[in-house]
Amino acid sequence: MSNASAEVAADFRDALQDLKINSRPEISNLTIIAKENTEHAQAISHELENHIRTTRPEWKLPALYVLDSIVKNVGTPYTVFLGRNLYRTFMDAYMVMDPANRRAMDGLLKTWKQPVPESMDTNPVFSPEVTRDIENALIKIRTVTVQQQAMAQRTPHGLPPRPASNPMASGAWRNTPTPPQGGPRHAAPNDPRVRHNFPTPNNYGQLPVATPPSQVPTPQPPVTSIDLESLKADLAKLIASTRGAWEATPTDLALAQKLKALMDLQTVLNTQTIPPQQLQAIRTQIQALSPPPPPVQTYVPPIATTPQPFIPSPQQAAPPSLPPASGGFNLAQLLAQARPPVAQTPTPTQPTLSLADLLRRVSSPGQMSSTPVAAAPFPPPPHFPPVPQPVATPTPAPAPTLTPTTNLAQLLAQMTKSGSAPPPQVPQLPQLPTQPPAGSSAPGATDWLLNALKGVPQMATTGVLPQSTPTASTPMTRQASGMTAVPNSVELTTASMKQPRFHLIARLYGAKPNICATCGRRFENSAEGKEKKARHMDWHFRVKDPDATKRGIHRSWYISEKEWIEYREVDESAPDTANSAKAAAVTLKKDPKEQYVHVPADAARDAPCPICLEKFDSNLKWHTDANDFVWMDAVNVNGKVYHATCWDEYSKGAGIPAPSTPDPVLGKRKADIGTPVSGKKVRAY
Amino acid sequence: MASLPGLNLAAASAEPANLTSTSTETRQQDLAANTEYRFEVSFSRTLTIRLRTGTAEFFGTELGPSTTYSFKGTKGAIYTWHGCSLEIGGEAESEYVAEETTMMSYANAHFALEDLRDKAMQSNEAGPRVLVVGPDNSGKTSLVRILTSYALKMERQPVVVNLDPREGMLSVPGSLTASAFSGILDVEEGWGSSPISGPSPIPVKMPLGYHYGLGNPEEGKLYKPLVTRMALAVLSRLEEDKASKHTGFIIDTPGSISHGKGGVYENIDHIVSEFSGTCGVCFVGKLLTISVNIIFVLGSERLYSDLSRKYGHRSEDPISVVRLDKSGGCVDRDEAYMKHFRQNQIHNYFFGTDAENTLAPYSLVADIGDLTIFRLAESSAVDPSFRPGDDDDDVYAASKNIYEKVNPSSAMQNSLLAVTTASPKDPQEVIRDASVQGYIYLIEVDETKKKVRVLVPQPGQLPPNALVLGSFPEVVPDLLN
Ligand SMILES: Nc1ncnc2c1ncn2[C@@H]1O[C@H](COP(=O)(O)OP(=O)(O)O)[C@@H](O)[C@H]1O
Ligand SMILES: [Mg+2]
Ligand SMILES: [Zn+2]
Ligand SMILES: [Zn+2]
Repeated sequence: MSNASAEVAADFRDALQDLKINSRPEISNLTIIAKENTEHAQAISHELENHIRTTRPEWKLPALYVLDSIVKNVGTPYTVFLGRNLYRTFMDAYMVMDPANRRAMDGLLKTWKQPVPESMDTNPVFSPEVTRDIENALIKIRTVTVQQQAMAQRTPHGLPPRPASNPMASGAWRNTPTPPQGGPRHAAPNDPRVRHNFPTPNNYGQLPVATPPSQVPTPQPPVTSIDLESLKADLAKLIASTRGAWEATPTDLALAQKLKALMDLQTVLNTQTIPPQQLQAIRTQIQALSPPPPPVQTYVPPIATTPQPFIPSPQQAAPPSLPPASGGFNLAQLLAQARPPVAQTPTPTQPTLSLADLLRRVSSPGQMSSTPVAAAPFPPPPHFPPVPQPVATPTPAPAPTLTPTTNLAQLLAQMTKSGSAPPPQVPQLPQLPTQPPAGSSAPGATDWLLNALKGVPQMATTGVLPQSTPTASTPMTRQASGMTAVPNSVELTTASMKQPRFHLIARLYGAKPNICATCGRRFENSAEGKEKKARHMDWHFRVKDPDATKRGIHRSWYISEKEWIEYREVDESAPDTANSAKAAAVTLKKDPKEQYVHVPADAARDAPCPICLEKFDSNLKWHTDANDFVWMDAVNVNGKVYHATCWDEYSKGAGIPAPSTPDPVLGKRKADIGTPVSGKKVRAY
Repeated sequence: MASLPGLNLAAASAEPANLTSTSTETRQQDLAANTEYRFEVSFSRTLTIRLRTGTAEFFGTELGPSTTYSFKGTKGAIYTWHGCSLEIGGEAESEYVAEETTMMSYANAHFALEDLRDKAMQSNEAGPRVLVVGPDNSGKTSLVRILTSYALKMERQPVVVNLDPREGMLSVPGSLTASAFSGILDVEEGWGSSPISGPSPIPVKMPLGYHYGLGNPEEGKLYKPLVTRMALAVLSRLEEDKASKHTGFIIDTPGSISHGKGGVYENIDHIVSEFSGTCGVCFVGKLLTISVNIIFVLGSERLYSDLSRKYGHRSEDPISVVRLDKSGGCVDRDEAYMKHFRQNQIHNYFFGTDAENTLAPYSLVADIGDLTIFRLAESSAVDPSFRPGDDDDDVYAASKNIYEKVNPSSAMQNSLLAVTTASPKDPQEVIRDASVQGYIYLIEVDETKKKVRVLVPQPGQLPPNALVLGSFPEVVPDLLN
């Protein structure tokens, strides 16, 4: 740290020491110091973090407001420096705070997940990666706390309540606790990345300590008669109907969110023993989820001990008849709401799926293939009506005399003989227009004639998609190309390209009557086709994950030449087992940043990375997939933990190996990182 | 080095505000069987299309009946084999229904390839290896897309090779890429997207890329060696990857190589000879037996006759040279459109698709010394016709002057740098032949403070690899605005 930095930092520290209450002028003052000394941002950030960590619990919150004010009013580079350790800064403080202060911190966190109010910048205050970790940890803490308290048979008063979850009503940022700043004087007009627009004072609500999230205690309905099984059944029904609705309108984000939340809830219900009290909360949750849920409820906090009154926001357009949470629970009504208007979509709502099917499909789609399909978890969607009503499709009546069914063998023989020479009919063709003539009937007629001559089944030529009959268990495509290969063969000559062969088009359409309504991919009407489609739909669901956009996703580097040669494509409709092994192998080495190790036992915890000599503290992270605290960007090589990025660089040596040289670390990493990180299977998407 | 994830990069494009107002009203467009609805939409408007009834496809990829597709900065056609009714919203620069299309002949081309693929599968040999040539805007890329989509409908796995640096495939302009395709193409995004760090609703494909850095293959000395390298990689892949081997590959090319000089098409010849077994042993150590065996010529009669004369009748490895009509729908894309198109591709590389802005690139401050930039040397960029002695042998001769090593300067601001997989210490040929790991963008060079600010696609340190700077694509001054 330079002398100048040290001085500024000292001033800042002094000013911080005096901050014991939420004093607007003092917070403003500190923000101004930060603003005017961005070149010392690192030192200032360090001071601030230090202060938050070391000061008495009751003084931590004002300091956190300083942090909040700085990142919102100054932005970078503070967001970077403070973002690095934010998890620590935030969580350490959170752990020692009382419930009221925790509530205030929840409120802060919520605003950090959003853009600065009225700013041009649409990015959240802190990157989603930063806030997500905190959020995950908070959820975990709440769950654990709730469970402990439930076991101790205590009333849930001391619990950190859920953050007020009505963000749509007023824009959550309005609850931002940061005291108003002086206005645009903090702006740096020359820096395009600085947020220019500051919230005007009246946009800030009062300090949250003074106004905790409005939670009107609701008298709890009797909880005695909740039957777990019936609750599960209700939930399963709700999931099934939601899933049906989502499949019909896969673009509906709110529905996808709801589905995910419901499935999360189901997992909780199925994996944890939950006291009756909590069951009531879950029941309330189900109820709350019945109208399109607000986005923040994506992470269904599994157990909310203070059920909040359900207040439908205007956007949710809940029917007036919806009973309040404290009242009766009308599942039928909810289900009715959850169903989309059937008329909206050509695909009828799927029949209710069984819970087992759903779980199996959602949690491990790869098992699908080994599961008997008797239960038909994915009933074949109805065939898409192939012929549009409003359009007159040319369907010339077949001329029976022309249909040479009896001469088929003869014709086939002819075709075979013709080989590379044009078939006998062809000499007539040059008289045909080179392009299908204008108008919709002529090409059809020409086509019909040709097809009739070739003994092609009538259905293929009319534009009517042949529906596979139940007996068609062999793949239609191969059947078509195998059985009729000879008459259908297309010679590779310029003249041959101009002959209309409309009957062949059925191989692109009718052979696979089962279309995905979302992307248009077609599937055969066979058992295999159905399985493929089911996996394909799962893929749509996975990638539609409403959380995905909040995760700070970025473009990955391309794979190397050698990796590319060895890479095998992943078809999202193929059984998962075929996909994951290869995909994981390439992927694990892909992005060192995303590799991690479980935090080692105490002794090793303080050891620095042998390459850069920095410790791993700032890499600490709650890892959802690993379900554990981990060090990100870390790799274990022969018992020593390195930064994965450091190791990556080091292993490549001074000279990077020629593109075709295999990466020597690849095998090692696979061995070291036992758990494949599902989120990193880039290829699987 | 510091990553700045909070960087404000909400790169809104030109005039987004007026989109929604027009898109609420929709109209119905019925299409008879075997006709197509052709449209052009500017970059500042959005046209939405939804299939009401019937079947419809966009360059061979079928429209999903429950999806409303949005098009922006697009010229194209919705074709229907069976007739359909569309619901269209928004404003097109031009639109009409065409009753004469080339789709039947393109489908014929596809089914001819299918016959060969069936045979290849039976005998475990390579499927059809297709080269598509023709003048600019003759519909080459459209044909390649249709053939790819149709192959995917038949559960094939074609390898598509883009040798046209003017238009990136799964990458930025200036690059040459190859990718195997399986599953589906995307109606809106075409080839799809290269991998990102999370789930992508747009099908993710795995490109292999090399950086050419010039707009015209006839321009420099780099094109041929890169084609050679690409051919080696693709042929090696085909040797090992059965699904792709049986399907074969399709090569898209730039129009400029189809002009020829006095009936000689140097670059076409080079591609044909390199994408064939004559170059010997591939990376995986096997003798290659795969070569281009089909050339589709779009439009030009003269090119067709020149190429059939040369390749159609040779006794060894004859090639089927087949002419296909140019679609009446092909639009001449002017330089202004192409420039916008390129900038859009670069934007999408860092930020994801225009509409969604889904990706978060990182800004990184580094010391000037951290970047080792190799700029295409002037001598590599001169027209070969100025160098009478410049024959194929010369291309491979060791030369130190492919690139010149330069320090980042403020003149390079807003340029794209290819991050190669080679080390700065490698010989220049190695750097040239190294595949590309990705691209970074020079935001700012502060020559006095000796600092650079770069935009990188993913977090982490800047790779210490050799960076290549070409003159194409041009700078993108407003990438971050
Ligand atoms: N049938 C069609 N209807 C409308 N636009 C088309 C059609 N075929 C091609 N285009 C458009 O014409 C332009 C040129 O076609 P393209 O396939 O890119 O040509 P090339 O690759 O030969 O330069 C592209 O913008 C393409 O989308
Ligand atoms: Mg093209
Ligand atoms: Zn689909
Ligand atoms: Zn390290």
